Amino acid sequence: MRAKQIPAIEFRHVYKRYRLYRSDKHRFLGIFSKRVAFKEVFANRDLTFKVERGESVAIMGKNGAGKSTMLKMITGVAFPSSGKIDVNGRVSALLELTAGFDPEFTGRENVHLRGQLWGLDKAEIAVLERQVVEFADIGVYMDQPMRTYSSGMKARVGFAIASSINPDILVVDEALSVGDKAFRQKCDRRIKEIMAEEKVTVIFVTHSSGSAEAICNRGIVLEKGKLAFDGPIRDAIEFYEGPPDTPVVAG
Amino acid sequence: MAEARPDRADVLASRVRSYGGTLVGVVAEHEEYWRQIFQLAAADLVKTYRGSALGWLWAVIKPSVTIFVYWFAFAVGLRASSTVSGFPFSLWLIAGILPWFYVSEMLTQGTTTLKRYSYLVTKIKFPVSTISTFVSLSKLYVHAALLMIVIVVFIMFGRPVDVYFLQLPLYTALMFLFFTMWSLFASLLSAMSKDFSNVVTSFVMAIFWISGIMWDVNRVNNPLLAKILLFNPVTFIANGYRNVFIYKRWFFQDPFALFAFAVVLVVMFGLSLYTFNRLRRDIADVL
Repeated sequence: MRAKQIPAIEFRHVYKRYRLYRSDKHRFLGIFSKRVAFKEVFANRDLTFKVERGESVAIMGKNGAGKSTMLKMITGVAFPSSGKIDVNGRVSALLELTAGFDPEFTGRENVHLRGQLWGLDKAEIAVLERQVVEFADIGVYMDQPMRTYSSGMKARVGFAIASSINPDILVVDEALSVGDKAFRQKCDRRIKEIMAEEKVTVIFVTHSSGSAEAICNRGIVLEKGKLAFDGPIRDAIEFYEGPPDTPVVAG
Repeated sequence: MAEARPDRADVLASRVRSYGGTLVGVVAEHEEYWRQIFQLAAADLVKTYRGSALGWLWAVIKPSVTIFVYWFAFAVGLRASSTVSGFPFSLWLIAGILPWFYVSEMLTQGTTTLKRYSYLVTKIKFPVSTISTFVSLSKLYVHAALLMIVIVVFIMFGRPVDVYFLQLPLYTALMFLFFTMWSLFASLLSAMSKDFSNVVTSFVMAIFWISGIMWDVNRVNNPLLAKILLFNPVTFIANGYRNVFIYKRWFFQDPFALFAFAVVLVVMFGLSLYTFNRLRRDIADVL
């Protein structure tokens, strides 16, 4: 790989620790005193890897393996407890599509709000709005408060927004089930379109191996928060599906 | 990750760096996102009054009812004298209670900003420190509208705008600064624990009655108590608005009140910086 290039994503000895207190009260006291008892749970342990620009990487692992935590840290909404993370470029995350909206606002207003949050100017927001209205295709509901939406409609708007920015790094959760079959296919096409762009880095999260092989050329397997395997996609799938997992108590 | 015990000077130096870095970070976030702050404040305002037939009028109706009720209880019910320190009770009441509507919003809603805007913390990459700022700004818009109405009312009662109104922006700015920092501090803590927001809500009325809005702090007999009461920032603000509208005094004519407020402001600054530095990285995990 080209050595001098700045990697899109770099994890260096990243740990993510959650502190579990007995109750809200203990957690509150724990802010001020170190003597309040808590249990430590590591969602990620000592993750070290690099993703170069233009690579597409499948992240595989069972529930509780630490995939979501890792993704949250890549998107920048969660922070590592120790270690360092560098993310270079604009990240678009197709994770929880139904989240991140203000339920009191209409779909259209939420599009504007998101455009504003991204710091777009009026003309750019107008373009964004047109794209989202066209892609989401939910008709008159676009001007109804989002609290009245079905989860399918929310997901449509969510996907339309998240996929309309041209990201440098695209994070896709395969578990995302978006509306009916026709719309899912439309989404798949859109994802492929974005991926076809040169230099777009793709992080594809999955517990199954079928689609991973179709999209990615490298695989990372997480087990109990640790990086268990990192290599070519075929080997990763073999590793992931090979030995049966022992029962996991804590993630 | 255990290390050899670093000596005290090192610990102190790294703390100073950490807090300094946090402060610089907060300032930088505000600088980078100032446009979004104004846009979100406007959106917050729209949201508050959306979905009711009277809409914006509620911003005026609610305070008017409150003022009327207090006036009725005191002037009619308790037959309080119709003047306070020589000023008509109704005008005196309006001037002192005017900032309270902003303050009470900041005490209640300001404490729950992070919960209400949790999607900005957990779903989108957004500078968390600016959330309290835009909520506070949205409340300030309402305050500004009320302020205009009150000024008109005073003019109608034959009390025109004079040179003392020059200090009004100062009091408003200090109020905004204090309660924005309060909101940052309180919303972080209430995100960590429901108990905290419950404590605050149950004390709102207590703060109202202890703050010299319904009575004149300057007339407390015990001189020590009178000094202590001045450390209440709400008292300082209410007095300030009365200095402008009623007493016709300058802010520097009571240096002790100014000093007491400065102390409280610095303490609030420290508390909010400490809390933010401590909890910024954990807050997305608990919301």
